[in-house]
Amino acid sequence: MKTVFINCSPKKRFSASAYFLALQRLFTGGEKATEKLRTPADHSRILAQLKDAGAVVFCLPLYVDGIPSHVLRFLMDMETFCVQSDLHFSVYCIANNGFIEGKQNEPLMQSFEHFCRRAGLTWGGGVGIGGGVMLNVTRILFAVDIGLLLMDIALSVANTGSFFPREAWFSFGENALLLLYFNLGVLYYLIRMGTAIRRQGFCGKKYTRILIPSFVFIVFADIFFVIASLFEGGLFRGWLEKKPIEE
Amino acid sequence: MERSCVYCRKGEEGMKVILHDLDRQYDDLLADRCDRMIAADGKYAPCQGCFGCWTKHPAECFMKDQLQQVCRTIGHADELVIVTRNVYGEYSPEIKNVLDRSIGTSTPFSTYRGGQMHHTLRYGRHSLWKVIVYGQITEAEKETFRFRAQRNAVNDGYETSEVIFISDLKELEALV
Repeated sequence: MKTVFINCSPKKRFSASAYFLALQRLFTGGEKATEKLRTPADHSRILAQLKDAGAVVFCLPLYVDGIPSHVLRFLMDMETFCVQSDLHFSVYCIANNGFIEGKQNEPLMQSFEHFCRRAGLTWGGGVGIGGGVMLNVTRILFAVDIGLLLMDIALSVANTGSFFPREAWFSFGENALLLLYFNLGVLYYLIRMGTAIRRQGFCGKKYTRILIPSFVFIVFADIFFVIASLFEGGLFRGWLEKKPIEE
Repeated sequence: MERSCVYCRKGEEGMKVILHDLDRQYDDLLADRCDRMIAADGKYAPCQGCFGCWTKHPAECFMKDQLQQVCRTIGHADELVIVTRNVYGEYSPEIKNVLDRSIGTSTPFSTYRGGQMHHTLRYGRHSLWKVIVYGQITEAEKETFRFRAQRNAVNDGYETSEVIFISDLKELEALV
């Protein structure tokens, strides 16, 4: 059975949707195809992939409590295509939002259910993920940890001839476990979804988040935006001001 | 005048803004009933998710099209009326495009509203988020629309939300 994964993030690279899509691919068996949906020029290519699909997995960000406009346009084309081609595969959805509560993806999930009903497709369920941006950062931190470990090993080999600098490995293990813990809720529900996709069954609508307390998350989110605004200059351009309407 | 630019202007305080995706023939009718009107024709780019309207040029999009400063118009609204076609219990892509490009109405800082995390409001509290939905719609989609409008109202700092479903656009005149 072929599963088509559609990354609906408008970003070219390093999107949270791409991260969750990569994880879901790991937990899904059979033939797999991955597509990127950014502009209307992508529609016909993706629709062609759907002809022999058994399941389709949408990975997308939550925009203003709903589906991003460029994805809505695609769904309308996809509805017409599926009705005309008499297709009835299962549709799954992985939605992520910047706020910590995954539950905030509920209106988006409901719209996907309505889409499936109109298009004659089978709603397979979805996972709504809170703190998507921060979870995406954990994979970057993991890559940095691997880089540091390799550097420590190289230094250790050069100085002592040992491939196992104890402290470096211990520190790496500690950090990796911490990052794994942050992702546990996501991993659990994506594994469940992978099982459902294999049997083309229903995995329910599940909501999860990065596993840290909300008040800690908010502090880190605020720090992130202060630093980003400092480097991008927004901090010095009336950062929090009520900007007037310019004619 | 371009159809999707801000089209009429009466006052600044307690402003009523109408955002619609209807044909051009409705522009005059709606413009007479608000301080500012935004006609969403979909002839602009979708949001790229860069957060530049928070971190680089506050309340301004990097894309230099008709929606570059639309968040300022929506941010100044005390009453926002959205006239939209139903698409799966969601706004039409034309309307959603405008809303997606309007997150500069808030700041990047976070707070709690309605028991959940949201962004603080650049333009303060507003009074009414009103949605008038036309086009074929199921009962389940109506429920989703009511829920969505509630969520939007909390997210954007509106006191109340209201959703009206119409089967004929002739009803519009009495509702806006």
